[in-house]
Amino acid sequence: MAGEISVEQLADEMYGVVAENAGMKKMKAGDLTKAMIAKFGDQVSKQDCKSAIKLLIDSGRCVYGYYGGSSIELPRTEGAAN
Amino acid sequence: MATQTERRTDIGPPHYSQFLHPIIKENYGKWKYHETLKPGVLMHVGETGTIYSVRAASARLITISFVRFMAGLADKYADGYLRFTSRNNIEFLLANKDNIEPLIKELADNGIPVGGTNNAISNVVHTQGWVHCHSSATDASGLVKVIMDDLFEYFGSMKLPNKLRIAVACCLNMCGAVHCSDIAVLGVHRTLPRIDHSTLGNLCEIPTTVASCPNNAIKPTTIEGKTTVKVDEDKCMYCGNCYTVCPAMPLADPLNDGISIWVGGKISNARTEPMFTKLAIPYIPNNPPRWPEVTSAIRNIVEIYVKNAKPYERVGEWINRIGWAKFFDLTGIEFTKYHIDDFRHAGTTYKRSVQNRY
Amino acid sequence: MSDDLKIPLLDELEKGPWPSFVKDLKTLAPKKPMVRDLLRQLEKSYQDKRGYWKHGGLVGVLGYGGGVIGRYSALPDEFPGVSHFHTIRVHQPSGWFYTSEALNELMDIWDAHGSGLLNMHGSTGDLVFLGTVTDELEPTFRDLTARDWDLGGSGSDLRTPSCCVGPARCENACYDTLELVDNLAHRFQDELHRPMFNYKFKIKAAGCPNDCVAAIARSDFGIIGIWKDNIQVDQAAVAEYVDSGFNVKEFVVDNCPTGCMSLEGKELKIDDSNCVKCMHCINLMSKALSVGKERGAALVMGAKAPIVEGALLGSVIIPFMEIEEPFEEMHDLLERIFEFWDEYGKARERIGECIERIGLASFLEQIELEPLPQMVTQPRDNPYIFYEEYYEEE
Ligand code: SF4
Ligand code: SF4
Ligand code: SF4
Ligand code: SF4
Repeated sequence: MAGEISVEQLADEMYGVVAENAGMKKMKAGDLTKAMIAKFGDQVSKQDCKSAIKLLIDSGRCVYGYYGGSSIELPRTEGAAN
Repeated sequence: MATQTERRTDIGPPHYSQFLHPIIKENYGKWKYHETLKPGVLMHVGETGTIYSVRAASARLITISFVRFMAGLADKYADGYLRFTSRNNIEFLLANKDNIEPLIKELADNGIPVGGTNNAISNVVHTQGWVHCHSSATDASGLVKVIMDDLFEYFGSMKLPNKLRIAVACCLNMCGAVHCSDIAVLGVHRTLPRIDHSTLGNLCEIPTTVASCPNNAIKPTTIEGKTTVKVDEDKCMYCGNCYTVCPAMPLADPLNDGISIWVGGKISNARTEPMFTKLAIPYIPNNPPRWPEVTSAIRNIVEIYVKNAKPYERVGEWINRIGWAKFFDLTGIEFTKYHIDDFRHAGTTYKRSVQNRY
Repeated sequence: MSDDLKIPLLDELEKGPWPSFVKDLKTLAPKKPMVRDLLRQLEKSYQDKRGYWKHGGLVGVLGYGGGVIGRYSALPDEFPGVSHFHTIRVHQPSGWFYTSEALNELMDIWDAHGSGLLNMHGSTGDLVFLGTVTDELEPTFRDLTARDWDLGGSGSDLRTPSCCVGPARCENACYDTLELVDNLAHRFQDELHRPMFNYKFKIKAAGCPNDCVAAIARSDFGIIGIWKDNIQVDQAAVAEYVDSGFNVKEFVVDNCPTGCMSLEGKELKIDDSNCVKCMHCINLMSKALSVGKERGAALVMGAKAPIVEGALLGSVIIPFMEIEEPFEEMHDLLERIFEFWDEYGKARERIGECIERIGLASFLEQIELEPLPQMVTQPRDNPYIFYEEYYEEE
């Protein structure tokens, strides 16, 4: 049932997926949601996943990136010119 | 630094009603009709009042000083009320008819023309160009300036057969969606992306880069032990999709970048259905700062249209009536192999009858 | 760095009668090093015929994935003023209405935190602040929100919806474009600020088929006002047009695309059952003709510029729908569409491309809409039908 896994726990899991794929595949919000649903089945809902992503971003553990499409990434030092 | 508790988020835009002139508020949804009093001046008559709109031209790239100046004029003549149009014009909303002429005069004294209504050339919508974008094949603000300098007489008058909409976009991304304008000016690249093999592997995801190409021109490869990509030159159409996802594939090429001109699109449903623009001129070299070849090509098309179209015919409607062969004939524009479509659905544009005007 | 700004090529753009952005920018250059270096870098672009900007990057305000676009000069040593030159999209009010007070307030914020350059407005509809550094993003945002302004969308999110002037100043409006757009913007704040889609999703609302905001060409989801009943005719006003010498027959009647009008003496007759609501006659005779009373909107989906698979115009998914507050039907429909897109879309595929790939018929089935002849220009002319029902022998 949805709600069995806490949003904090989901955020941790998502962080793991982002970290694992860093530098190889840019994860979109939808990819993370799909990965969580694949892993936990109906123990999680899409709304839980949304909340987990919000937590991940609001806490500063991940940031949004953009190259042609938006993705959720590990924070990097700013890609400034120098 | 703001602390978490002070931070407001997700509040959305302020409600528009606080920015509406009292006459507009009272007549909201109760307008009866409108008239164009003269080029650039509209009168909207509602159930309980009348509002006059004075439409002033503006560049799209502007400064805070310009906006403050405009706000000052709104205070002086329009009770502080103004709006912007979808084409970057500024409309002052006047309750008092007597303020129209003094406002127009003060605008004119400051180099700001009034017009763009009805059968006129309104402001040109455009994109960021060299001023601000990484993928531009040309500038946009400068092009618009020289085009409107040249066609200035058509902004402040209403002597065209119908309205004429011009748009400029500086690459195929077409942030300004120029694909449905009467005349569209589009920046084009003409050479392959220059791949930086030394950094591509680090900067870009190979599968994403490969997948970005609409024509499957990109394949993964290894060069000197580094994973990178290669581009099939027979398949590349210089669209810049790959560069959008992969910064190691820039397309800028000063020698070959330039401009193409498209005609005959429209958005409104009036008379005929909305139409895409079609290619008129495949390539004109970039010639800043005033792109004389571009302005004269556009003037030529506008003048032939003015001379030949019937009242209320848009450019595309006029061309559809006379046929494309006649369009190329009248304008003297050369028809080339580039005019024949070869992308998806190309076949639908081949002539499938022998009806022709000789 | 020498004090005088040498930009001979750009100086050429001060000439001519049209308002010159160069002239305008020059007024700010002495106060704003960013503007000065922007002009210098642009001069170099004019010399070299190429742009000098790098790609975006990871910048934004805390918690949002949209609204800020990172931009860096490719030549930061030569033009340090524009080494960072990020864009902030501010969510515009419906219909682009302002008071001078609101504008001055916004300009003060931008003066304090950025280059002082802007667009009123960008193609999507936002008020665009052009050029600031990363450290100023959060303070700009704080000052904006303190004055009730928020950021618009960017990236793979719901882009800032926009609308025509509608009932605020147009007699043709068939529904309240301003209120609808304001409502949708507030209803879908999460989708606007936190990119969760496959790609961008634009909503545009036009009050009538004149489509002054280009909903048919520039929005993934366009709401275009239309009516079902008869055009309202004021015959006395028609007679005035005739008497004024305006050629009603040639310009109006003969230009009607369906030939459903006729002029008998000074009386205009319309066969409304044949009228396609194109607006031509109403546009020309605003005083005599107006849109009908049974009003609503047609919904079109899938328009986009060429990237990636070629340009598309929107196509009809609902020929007529009443658009009334509190717009719940619209919310439900959009949610079904987002759900569908989540399920079937691919990365960087606009919904129009997704619908073409999957087929309009399947799309309609997924979002629970009935197929109607108003959705096509003609039925299919090929016999490759994927039959889903057939009989089996008992
Ligand atoms: S049209 Fe292309 S070059 Fe111009 S602003 Fe848009 S993406 Fe940039
Ligand atoms: S420019 Fe376009 S066609 Fe050429 S390789 Fe890149 S994505 Fe493919
Ligand atoms: S789209 Fe129609 S309702 Fe909206 S401003 Fe244009 S004419 Fe008026
Ligand atoms: S709206 Fe168009 S189709 Fe209908 S009567 Fe008027 S001109 Fe004819």
